Amino acid sequence: MRVLRAAIAAFVFLTGWMPAPLGAQAPIGVALERRLADELRLQIGDTLRLGPSPDSLRALARVEAIYDPAPDPSTVMRDDRRMRMHLPDLAALLGQPDRVDRFGVVLQPGVSDSVAAARLNELAFGYRAYPSAEIAAGSSRTFEVVSRFHKAIAVITIVASAVFLLCIMLLKVEERRLDAAVMRFVGVRRRTIVGALVLEAAAIAVVGAVLGVGFAVIASWVTNAYYQQRFATALIFSRVTFDIVLFGTVLSIVLGVGAGALAAWRLAGTKPMALWSRT
Amino acid sequence: MSSLGGVRQLLRHPLRSVLSILGIAVASAMLLDMVMLSGGIEVSFAKLLLSRGWQVRVSPKGTLPFDTEATMPGATTLLAALRADASVAQAGPVLGTAVYARPSWKPDSLVALFGYGIEPGAQALYEVTAGTDLRRGDQDGVLVGDVVASRLRVQPGDTLVVVGRLDPQLAASGIERRLVVRGVVRWLYDYRGQPSIGTVLPVMQSLAKSRVQDPASVMMVRLKDSVSTADAVARLRAALPAVEVRSVEDLVVNFRERLVYFRQLALILGSVSLVVTVLLIGTLLTITVNERLAEIATLRAIGVQRSSILRQIFLEGMTLVGLGGSIGMVLGLVTARQLDAILTSFPGLPAAFSFFVVRPQEVLIAAAVLFVTGALAGLWPAWLAARAPIAATLRGEAT
Repeated sequence: MRVLRAAIAAFVFLTGWMPAPLGAQAPIGVALERRLADELRLQIGDTLRLGPSPDSLRALARVEAIYDPAPDPSTVMRDDRRMRMHLPDLAALLGQPDRVDRFGVVLQPGVSDSVAAARLNELAFGYRAYPSAEIAAGSSRTFEVVSRFHKAIAVITIVASAVFLLCIMLLKVEERRLDAAVMRFVGVRRRTIVGALVLEAAAIAVVGAVLGVGFAVIASWVTNAYYQQRFATALIFSRVTFDIVLFGTVLSIVLGVGAGALAAWRLAGTKPMALWSRT
Repeated sequence: MSSLGGVRQLLRHPLRSVLSILGIAVASAMLLDMVMLSGGIEVSFAKLLLSRGWQVRVSPKGTLPFDTEATMPGATTLLAALRADASVAQAGPVLGTAVYARPSWKPDSLVALFGYGIEPGAQALYEVTAGTDLRRGDQDGVLVGDVVASRLRVQPGDTLVVVGRLDPQLAASGIERRLVVRGVVRWLYDYRGQPSIGTVLPVMQSLAKSRVQDPASVMMVRLKDSVSTADAVARLRAALPAVEVRSVEDLVVNFRERLVYFRQLALILGSVSLVVTVLLIGTLLTITVNERLAEIATLRAIGVQRSSILRQIFLEGMTLVGLGGSIGMVLGLVTARQLDAILTSFPGLPAAFSFFVVRPQEVLIAAAVLFVTGALAGLWPAWLAARAPIAATLRGEAT
């Protein structure tokens, strides 16, 4: 049935709107997905012809509703167009009455879904009963793979960012060699110099982290706007959560302060004359 | 001033040089991976579809091959029409449907399988790895994939009980056939772990209880060598308006559209990698130049040419890029394998498909982009060093 429903959707999509001949049988009522209605320039009350193949568009249908489908990540990449009709109308159209793809079953309160599915599966051939959780797990496999890919990319990005941050902090602190030498000459203690440099590194890391969060929020907004428009969906593609912000900020500050402390410690351990002569 | 001056300068600050090289290595690894990802999807898909040299696919109107369970009725007539076309060298029908098998050790249970109905002399779906191929019109033979062979413990010569469409109202199987395993095959388009079997088309149609409609899921077409694929596809489309005629190039375009996300991700992350490289090289060289302004001014004062200074700073940057990039290319190839292993675990993806395809041109493109970017990043600090005012710099150092 799913096959045939898909085929019908495809034929409607491909054949477009066709005028209904005068004196035809009473049209069946259909509901069109908004994208399909827009593409075929159909409005409520318009008629079209449907059929199981392009050369047998024998059924007259009237658009009775136009609907926005519920956002579904599993179909977002597909370019299918869908329409809905009453089951007996579809069965008659296909010439295959009394057939369905699947049944949805609501169990009595307290009944285990897996036990009920096992019992139903023992009753007869020809179908397979699944608990909803099992179907959800199966259909979310794609997203699990994408999620694993994102995590792997995130690890590489974090390594690159960490090295970049370490390098920049090292350079930033080393730029203060002359200042450190002068401070040492006038009697400022090493601990004070290290403290000042670490504080400076921390300030830079905090400012960088705040800017980074701002950039992430803008990038996330652009990503959502682009993909929602691209796939005509209300799905959220990118979300900057509190946990992500916290993770990014803490990582930046820890790396920044760590790198700053390392470089400051090296600088404070160098003799003032060596710092002054820039050897 | 020798060209090795750049390397010597890097050795004066080993920690910062090592960190910069590491940063460039990770960034170039990411760049290489993203270059491979952006082109690999198409290359791998086209290679997979063309692996047996069949350039055209015919599927139900409005669908891609095996994208839905839709079928084309009247396969025999359609096949005859295709074979009658002057540009077609060979055409073969394929029907895909769900079937079941009874394990010999537990005949009251059923194992769900995917069944291919094919015409043995005209197919591009499998390679025989053990036993023999089906004969034309072989009504009693079946081919099994490795997965089925091991799961049902069958080998060539064994008998396999295949059950077709099940009837829930009768609480029994609708049709059952005892078939002899002729051979074990490798199904070219199957996903990992897909339990597939193949029979001649009429047998599979009978198992699907659709012999009367004579359906096929897809027709595979091989064109004659001298024929232009685009011309042949256009002619077949005009001749067969009730079905979808697509060349492998068309299918690749459709596939690209579906996986547009990965190409865009590759573009964004590749660009970020380049920005990181530019910032690293630019920052390091600028700070190095600032630190050595007095030294550079002295060199200029004793007669060292501006071009020589420019070359040295530039070479310092290129050394960073060269070392970091070389490590990054190796790192990129290693990480690409890991990332590919993740992405190829997508459900329903052919096992032979790959997202990251290693080709010399991809490595060359990544290396060239990296070197050009690195060179541009090093030019500004090098220009600053070469243009440093000699007298003012020396006076500033002295006071």
